[in-house]
Amino acid sequence: MTTAQLYYLLNLLIYAGVDIIACLGLSQQFGVAGLTNFGFIIFQAAGAYTAAILSLPAASANGGFQSYIGGWNLPFPVPWIGAAIVGALIALPFTFLVGRRLRGDFAAVGLLVTAVMINLLVTNYRPFLNGSAGLSLIPAPLQGKYNPQGAGYQWAYAVAALLLAAGAFWLVQRVTESPYGRSLRAMRDNDIVADSLGKSLFAQRTSVLVLGGALAGLSGGVLVGYITTWSPGAWGYAETIVLFAAVIIGGAGNHRGAILGAILVPVGFEEATRYLPAFGPPGFVDDLQWVAIGLLVVIFLWFRPQGILPERRRIIGATNNIPNEDVVSLPGPLRASRGAMDASPDGPAVRTSMQPAPFAGSPAAAAPNDPVVLRTVDLTRDFGGVHAVAAVSIEVRRGTLTGLIGPNGAGKSTLLGTLAGTIPVTSGQVIYQGNDVTHVPAYRRARLGLVRTFQLASEFKRLTVMENLLSAVPGNRGDSLAGSLRGRRYWRRDEDAAIARARVLLERFGLSGYADTYGGDLSGGQRRLTEIMRALMTEPTMLLLDEPMAGVHPRLARQIGAQLLDLCAEGMTILMVEHELAIMDEFCDPVIMMAEGAVLATGTMTDLRARTEVVEAYLVG
Amino acid sequence: MGPPGREGPALLAEDVRAGYGAGDIIHGVSVQVSPGAVASVVGPNGSGKSTLLKALCGVIRPSAGRVRVGDRDITGLPPEEVARAGVGYVPQVDDVFAPLTVRENLEMGGYLLAGRTVAERVERVVGIFPRLGNMLTRRAGRLSGGERKMLAMGRVLMLEPAVFLLDEPTANLAPQVATELLTGHVRTLAEVGAAVLIVEQRARAVLAISDYTYVLGGGQVLMADTPAHLNASQEFTESFFGVGPKVPQTPQAPKSS
Amino acid sequence: MSLFLASFGFGLVTAAVLAIAAVGFTMQFAVTDVLNLAYGAVMIASAFVAYALNQAGVNVWIGLLAAAAAGAVGSVLLNQGIYTPFQRRIGDAARSRITLVIVSLGMTLIIEFGLQAIVGGTSVSYTMSQGPTVKAGGLVLTAVQFVIIGLAVVVMAAVHGLLRYTKLGKAMRATSANRSLARNCGIRTGRIVTVTWAVTGALCGIAGTVFAINNGSFGATSADLFLVVILAAVFLGGPGSAYGAMLGALIIGLATEISAAYITPSYKDVIAFAVLLIMLAVRPSGLLGTAVS
Repeated sequence: MTTAQLYYLLNLLIYAGVDIIACLGLSQQFGVAGLTNFGFIIFQAAGAYTAAILSLPAASANGGFQSYIGGWNLPFPVPWIGAAIVGALIALPFTFLVGRRLRGDFAAVGLLVTAVMINLLVTNYRPFLNGSAGLSLIPAPLQGKYNPQGAGYQWAYAVAALLLAAGAFWLVQRVTESPYGRSLRAMRDNDIVADSLGKSLFAQRTSVLVLGGALAGLSGGVLVGYITTWSPGAWGYAETIVLFAAVIIGGAGNHRGAILGAILVPVGFEEATRYLPAFGPPGFVDDLQWVAIGLLVVIFLWFRPQGILPERRRIIGATNNIPNEDVVSLPGPLRASRGAMDASPDGPAVRTSMQPAPFAGSPAAAAPNDPVVLRTVDLTRDFGGVHAVAAVSIEVRRGTLTGLIGPNGAGKSTLLGTLAGTIPVTSGQVIYQGNDVTHVPAYRRARLGLVRTFQLASEFKRLTVMENLLSAVPGNRGDSLAGSLRGRRYWRRDEDAAIARARVLLERFGLSGYADTYGGDLSGGQRRLTEIMRALMTEPTMLLLDEPMAGVHPRLARQIGAQLLDLCAEGMTILMVEHELAIMDEFCDPVIMMAEGAVLATGTMTDLRARTEVVEAYLVG
Repeated sequence: MGPPGREGPALLAEDVRAGYGAGDIIHGVSVQVSPGAVASVVGPNGSGKSTLLKALCGVIRPSAGRVRVGDRDITGLPPEEVARAGVGYVPQVDDVFAPLTVRENLEMGGYLLAGRTVAERVERVVGIFPRLGNMLTRRAGRLSGGERKMLAMGRVLMLEPAVFLLDEPTANLAPQVATELLTGHVRTLAEVGAAVLIVEQRARAVLAISDYTYVLGGGQVLMADTPAHLNASQEFTESFFGVGPKVPQTPQAPKSS
Repeated sequence: MSLFLASFGFGLVTAAVLAIAAVGFTMQFAVTDVLNLAYGAVMIASAFVAYALNQAGVNVWIGLLAAAAAGAVGSVLLNQGIYTPFQRRIGDAARSRITLVIVSLGMTLIIEFGLQAIVGGTSVSYTMSQGPTVKAGGLVLTAVQFVIIGLAVVVMAAVHGLLRYTKLGKAMRATSANRSLARNCGIRTGRIVTVTWAVTGALCGIAGTVFAINNGSFGATSADLFLVVILAAVFLGGPGSAYGAMLGALIIGLATEISAAYITPSYKDVIAFAVLLIMLAVRPSGLLGTAVS
């Protein structure tokens, strides 16, 4: 190999390293968390500029032909570290666009505009970063000691770039293949449901922006140390499109795909054209290159949106073979009493982190001897001048499968919402286990053991059934950025305990064979079951089910009904809104009947049917 | 016994199956309405009433069965062609063009009419719903619930269709307004010779103005008879409670008389 | 005072170009629910159609008509050939919207760089006279600039007339508001959508040509930055609202030019961008829109 060829190869390797690091950051944001960050290039630019101004001498040096802030002439590796840190910090102002409830495409456009705006500001305000001319004569790392043009130096640079790329891969894998990664993917699939499960969308999006930003910044630092110049022309929105093309073509949601995309697109594609004979007028080949990238993006999004290496299905096996005895006790209770758990030989470290927060200061009221689990006192909810729920006082007794029926518009779903905390109350009280929870928000009621399901499909489509169940467990140590970074060893026990519990549920509801099926591939009835199982993963004391049988085949509906009765036999309390009155007949006792916002009657279905006002209420509609 | 009527049915649906993709909601439903008659479809929630109307007017495509308007087979036609065949549909929600004025809503209802007739028809519709006359320049999104329903029905009236399909027109209306709508406006439609198929939650109220009623349950017709017979029937009341095997009672083909 | 009037005049010219562009963009969004980021590319491609005719000796104002036709054809092809098939293929609304934005960016690359491959990278200008300087109502502008303002007024009036007074325009508004109900009225919404893209495509072509005239010199990628200013006007007025776009164009046009005169010209577009970001953060439905989710 000639020297020229060697240098060329090293050049390629360095670019590959840089692009891999950047694409991994974008893959984390776009592929895993579903954030279409069209402003991504800003993070890389910020890192490059930071490394530049940290390593450059003062602006007056070299005749002062450049003007810029900074210029502290700091030695390697400070500029690279600074680049990563600034890349991470730059993410914070971007969060204002992604934190809100904004349409995905509007947010993406906002981010694109932000990138263009920042480019414009930097281009025009010369004192900041030397405007459109950009910065040049940026010192290469350790250039005082070594000759940057030497072969040895170039080798070392390439190795450093590739090592950092490997490190970046290790980092994003660690975060993605953890309970936190699962929560990010859940947010990507259905952010509203993820939110209702207690995942903080804002915190998750911020952390992903910061992490991706740090990687992008680092890639900028490494790049600028090699090419020693950096100007606004290097980071327009065309460059962002190239990175997006790389991630989409390689495979969004798969970090190996991001690596492949980085090699194919920014490196492979640009380099391949070097070997084409230069034909046409100057710039012609470059123009065709851009056309080709645009074509590739559109073609891939049409024919293979999942990319060359699609996101892999996570088949989850417990890392311990023998689960904790306390957790698995078929057909015993899903919720062993708290006392027994604390006494387990493994100690509270395993279980308590999974428990909902115990009630503060309510010892006697929490006693399982109280027959009434949930009570309302004159509960009223007004909406648009109408009493959607009018002075309703009901009692739900422990261990019952209580039905809630009524014609359309009777207020059943509204009542359920006020009990769950998803709908605010106009007046009256909700008393749960002796505590007034009227103003307690929904996710905290869930932590107290009062959990609701939703009527509409709310499974995470690109998570397996097992992952859907695992995503519902609160308090998993691995379910935070810090926790995921600490590695599998840190969160393994919580995860194993959750997996074991999930397996029990799957077994019980007959879906063990579907543990690894994607949520999006389930039938209607299976989705309903998954919804219920997911609610059960949180070890609730009381379940509020909103039409769990809607659209379900009658036979499956009875199976679900039988399962619910079993749960009640084990001590669970369930309040169920349902239209299928045949189900009510067979399984529910008592049944509360509502009409026009008020409770009309309570009793068994037979009792209710015998009462003319009940029948009339249905016919009047 | 079939529904009363002078000629052959204006609307005839035979054995219609339809759903929203993942399996059918209605499994072989047959209904018919004669000109000048009001036929109602009642039943508990989830029985497929709305789905039936959507399948009849083309909003969803039936997976099986046939739908005819007069002599014309309209099975599987898209909504704009079904409208051309003389079917007017009032959906339960999103029933008006909110940013357009009342007059413009009516004009859209008369889209298929020749230019000159539109203004004349608007006058006629205002004659039937005088309150609309005071609101012609108001944006439809600013109307009250009852006024919106009137406008929705007026919009459909513009074309003077042979068949009206109404999906729970009294939903979210106060009881007096609901009664007025049913006893007044809906009956008027039939009186001018149209065939009206109305889906309703308020079973008692709609039975009072119907000539014939179908009871839907679990996506099938459980019973079909005149209101008088149904009101007297124990089985009718029970059907609202999902009692009994889901053996559909296939209504006999009516004899044209 | 004359500084203010001068910048006010320039503001009106900018607002004029912006209004023609923004109304087209927002109506495309209204009827198809797509943010067509390739709009700028179609604009500049149409401007080059006028340029080609201009080079052949045709007066640029005639060329404007050809640009309108080119814009119409190109936009209809874009919607029928790319956007609508993608929308049908991807059922889920949220994923569809993101994919379509990325697709429109891809189309931008294809159109702009395909164009640049053909016409080359050097900037060109129309062969035309700017006309005499005209003083009217305190404003001092060239004849061409007055023509541009006049053209915008005529176009806005025509759009207003179309939407308020013609059956087609009302059908366009009905289709945008409630497509399913429009079909129930017998409106063939597929055709209405096609016609809407043709009309807005013509606006796009006209906007591209006057943009090129106003800029003096232009190249294949000249409209990139302008697209963002168009987005600012659209979101300020409310995406999907034609009158909102007109209002937004006026405000943004005046604000950017007046601030350029009094503060500094280099950052004038930054005002537009800042407005856009503030609207997205605070009121995405815009000034004239109704609050939507």
